[in-house]
Formats: sequence, structure tokens, C-alpha cells
Amino acid sequence: MTAPYSGKHILDLSAFAAQRPHALATAMACKLLAAMGASVFRPIPASGDPFATLAPMLPDGSSAVARFLLTDRIALEAEDHRREILFDAAIGDYETVSASHALLRVRFSVFGPGDDPAMSELGLMALSGILDATPSNEGEPHRLGGHQPAYAAGLAAFTAAAAGLRTSRHDFVDISIFDVACWLNWKAAATVVLFGREAAIRDKAQRGGWHTMRVMDGHIALVYMNKDWPALRDLIGDERLREARFASQKSRGENMDALNAIMAPWFGARTRAEITSIAQAQRIPIGPVLTLQELLSDRQHSARKFLMRNGEPRTPLMWDGHAAPWRDVEVDNHG
Amino acid sequence: MDNLAPLSGIRVVDLGWLTAGAASATLLLDLGAEVIKIEGPGALDPFRDWIGAEPGTDWWNHSPFYNFTNRGKSSVCLDLKDPRGQAVVLRLLENADILVENYRRGVLEAFGLAPKMLREKFPRLIVASISSQGSDGPERDMVSFGSTLEATAGLAALTGPSGGDAAITGRNINYPDQVVCLFAAGAIISAVARRDKTGEGVHLDLSQRELTSFLLGEELLAAAAGAPSARLGNASRDDAAEAVIRVDEGWQVVWSTGAAPVRDGIAVAESEKFRSGTAVLQSPDGIAAKGVPFSFGTWPASIRRGGAKLGESNVAVLQEAGLSMQEIHELKEAGILAEAPRRGPAR
Repeated sequence: MTAPYSGKHILDLSAFAAQRPHALATAMACKLLAAMGASVFRPIPASGDPFATLAPMLPDGSSAVARFLLTDRIALEAEDHRREILFDAAIGDYETVSASHALLRVRFSVFGPGDDPAMSELGLMALSGILDATPSNEGEPHRLGGHQPAYAAGLAAFTAAAAGLRTSRHDFVDISIFDVACWLNWKAAATVVLFGREAAIRDKAQRGGWHTMRVMDGHIALVYMNKDWPALRDLIGDERLREARFASQKSRGENMDALNAIMAPWFGARTRAEITSIAQAQRIPIGPVLTLQELLSDRQHSARKFLMRNGEPRTPLMWDGHAAPWRDVEVDNHG
Repeated sequence: MDNLAPLSGIRVVDLGWLTAGAASATLLLDLGAEVIKIEGPGALDPFRDWIGAEPGTDWWNHSPFYNFTNRGKSSVCLDLKDPRGQAVVLRLLENADILVENYRRGVLEAFGLAPKMLREKFPRLIVASISSQGSDGPERDMVSFGSTLEATAGLAALTGPSGGDAAITGRNINYPDQVVCLFAAGAIISAVARRDKTGEGVHLDLSQRELTSFLLGEELLAAAAGAPSARLGNASRDDAAEAVIRVDEGWQVVWSTGAAPVRDGIAVAESEKFRSGTAVLQSPDGIAAKGVPFSFGTWPASIRRGGAKLGESNVAVLQEAGLSMQEIHELKEAGILAEAPRRGPAR
């Protein structure tokens, strides 16, 4: 069965990116194009593959990041990508891609072409406001786990490359990793732009309410809409929750500490499974905080054959109920 | 100019709501596709009364977040619960390339638009279903918002202070709702690429929970190898200098080659790089709107068309689909085609 990009030749310049966010974003975009059937060539510099030491490291001494991102690549001599081989697309940082030969050049930068200061993923989360979305009780903001700014930029590049490959013409596409992060966190900035500074301050004060709660065996995500409040209040069953100070989303936001103090014992006396079951029966979107180890045997992921035995996730997309139909055919042919 | 657009000539029927569905369709629009958004007079996109909806006004046309997300789309207001409305959608799909939906699982079937039937009736159509858990599995019907999925997909377990509480982005971001759009648009375009070669459409089943776990792929590999990562707070195993520190004005992040302030939404919106970037752009009607996270040399990031009022495109779209003015009039008279909702704003 034909894959979307069979016959397309992509140059993955992730090993030559000067900065880690650009390298990771490149590798994510190329991983997805490879999963869709493209032939992805990845040259490695003489100094070695910078991905080889990226944490977390596996017990065999290899990098889990490299193992995850670099599947289905075709090795290429380091200098070959600078020769007159015309690729359908080249993906990498602005400087490296600009020097390559490709119909479509997908170029990552921090802020835009020529505006590429030294940057980390933590810095991108800080500058885009993503970090500010996850303050702890002590007020310190916390980064999202994994490599979210880089991988999200990789997803944007995948979409852009998919669109650009359709035209088969000389073109370039610029992706600012900062712009992608701000695009993800649009609500924070849009509230200011659309409603004004004062409204944004009020909104922030009232927006609380969705956070995790400690329970008997870990945490649950306490997520609910205003319409869910009566059901949630009645589940917990503490008469103090009927007080006027908890009657609206606005007032609950303003009295969050007091609200949490009343709710905490109820949550603390139950397990994640019990709470999820009770809440879901009322259609309240509460869910358990699951660890990565727990996900390996998670019944939903298992039923959809999402993870291989080594923990590697398949591409999160089903085609007429199949993971990647063109791969099934290839396996059958070789078997 | 439009013929330079990567998705020039592609038509999308958009049944997407809120962010995950609607903003995926918006990305297709931004790449040059034509997008027809369909809502029902009894089933509006919930963004229409998310904020600022005042009773006694045509509040449904003035939702800032709705217009922010859906600028540039044609708007059809059609009752999909009525068989006559369903018949109209089938007419529209005759000339469509893509259907995007993120209803609760089972709703599309209840509208007589089951993906299997659509695949048989329209072999070239790409049906993109975006859902929390996917179209099957024992937890298919688990009620989840974006931040619920951060918890159930493993992201929350790795977010938050080391030794402290796991954290979610909450109402501020609902991260899985945002990130899925960046992937879904590419997945849909890939399905178009395959159809260009084979003539075959497809039903794409996209689980936001799976995508969120996928974006932690290296952590899943490490866990399966018996070396699971702990929650590290703001520490990085690749750069020991990374940290978040308290400063007079709030918080600052530092790493081995730089430093940056931790911004809130106000500081982001007022920053020069944000204002000169493409995350939020001006609509032709002068209103700030959702921007575009990429910019082509031949198709620069911009918003080419403003918002439409609810049902503004009813007549034009249905006429183009071959319905007569008499038929359109009858649908209006029956309340199946509308330009206003049947209810007041949710409070």
C-alpha cells in the first residue's frame, strides 16, 4: 500500500544544528515524515552524533532521545548533503538549511531568520509564558516535562513540510520556535490583546481551580467546568462548600486556598481509581496522574496497540483503524 | 495569489469545536484551503459563549475567542439533528476533500454521518476524527479536557517540583488541545498526499492522549528499559546550569549560555518579539486573531479574511452545492437553516 511520502527524499540536518531546541525540532519533524514513508537521510558530523549523549540514557548506554527520534533514517556521509544532490526537502536550523540543496527548505530559528540568539527550551517556556502556567504552591513556575517547545516546533514543521511537499516547487518555510510556543499559549496573550491589561490581571486571579490534588496513591487532575461544580460539591459532601464564597467560578478562584483546604481530606482518603470512577459517573473530567511506568500497561494504550514492548510509541494516528497500513504490507511481503 | 497557497483548491467541512477541532481546520485554512464551518442552531461551538456573551444581544457573533480562532472560515448554521440537515451535509461533502470533527465519540454516528458510511459514500474523502482517547478502546468515552489528558498521558507526572506535587497547565493552556492542532493538520495533509497518489480517502483517528504520550517518547523508552525518569522540577540532565531563580521582579530562568525572564501573559503580549512575530496577527477587519506558526517564502503568514457571522454563508454555500433558492427557503422556514441560535448564552 502506498505511503504518503514514498519516493520523497528528505535531508535531516538535526546533527548539524547549532542549538539543541532546533536539533530536537528537526529530528521530530523528520521522524514523522519518515513514519509517513519518506526516505530520510541524516548525515552525522565527523565529531560524532550530538544526540548520542542526550538524557535519559538507557541501561545499554544509548540515548533514549536518539532511540526515539532517529528511527528509520538512512545514513549519509557527512559531506554528501553539501553536494549537488537535490532533496525534496531539507530541515534544520536556518544557517545549515540555507546552505543545502533542496526544493523546500524548512528553517528553524528562535525568533525568525537571522534572529537566533543562544536559547534553551527552558528559556522558550519562560519567554512565551508557558512556564507561568504551572506555578507550584510556593509560586515557583515549573517547566513542562520532556522537550515540549522543541517537539511542538517539530510538529509545526511537519505540517509545514507536508504542505510544502504538495507544491513541489522551490520554496522555503521559516519556523520561529518562540512563535510556536506563543501560539500554543495563545490564551494568555490573547486575553491581553483582546480584553486589555486590567482584564488579564482579573482573569489570572480568577482562573485558578484546575490543578492536581494529592490522593491516597498519588495525584489526580482536578478539572471541572462551572456546570460541573454542583455535582463535584455534592460528591465531596462538605456543607461549607455551599457557602457564597464558593458559589461562582470567580469566587472560587479568589478563595482557592480555602476551597482546597476543605476538599483535600476527601481526596486524600481515596485512590485515583475510586475518584476517577466517581467523577466520571457524573461526567466530571477528573483523571488520574499516571506515571510513565503505569502507562506501559495502561488499558487504553494497550487496547489501541499504542506502545511496543520496548516502550516505543507508534505514530499517534490510525488510518481506517490501522496504525500505518503501508507498513503492514511491507511486513507481509517480507514475511 | 491564492494559487500560490500550498492547499489551494482543497475544501474542508469543519465540524470542529473549541480549539482541538476548530484550530486544526484553521491551520488548513492558513495554508490556503477553503473552510466551511458548520454549527447547529441548537449546537453552537462552545467558544461562542465562553466569555463576554451578553443576553439581549447577538452575542453569538461577538465572541472574542470564537472569532479569534475561526476567522476566515465560511459559516453555515444547520441543524444536524434533523435528517434534512444531515442530507444537506452529505450534499456539501460531495465537493469536499476533508471533514474535520472532534465531537464526543458517537455523536457523528448519531447525526447519520458515521465515518464508515462516509468512507463508502465518498471514497476520496478524508475524515479526520480528533478525540480525547481515540475512536475505540475501553476508555473511549472517558470525559476529558486537555489538562485531564496531561495527567493520563504522563505529562503531569514529569511536571512540577521534584518531590512535590505533579502539575498541569490547567485553564491557561490545556496543552494537549493546542499541540494536537499542529500535528492533526500535518496528518490530514499527509492523507491528502496519499490520496493524490492512490485516489483513496481515509478515516484518520487521532487521539490527543496518544499524541501527548508520544511527545514523551524517550521517557516511555526509558521506563520500559527499567530506567524511569523522576520528576526533576526545573533541572535539566543535559545542562546542569538550568534553573529558575527568584529575582526582584519575579522569576528568571538561567542556563549555561543565557538567561530570560519568566513572563506572564501581559509581559508576553507587550514584548517586542511577540508583537513582531506571527503567533497573533491582525485580521483584515482590524481585530487581533490567532496567528500562523510558520511562514512560506511564497505564502507568508497572514490572515487573509475576517470573521463571518453565524450562518452568513448559508445561501452561498448551499446554492453552490446545488440547492435551489426554494429548497433553501424551505430549510429556513423549517428552522433547519438559521442565523441565530435557539437558546440564550450559557451562564
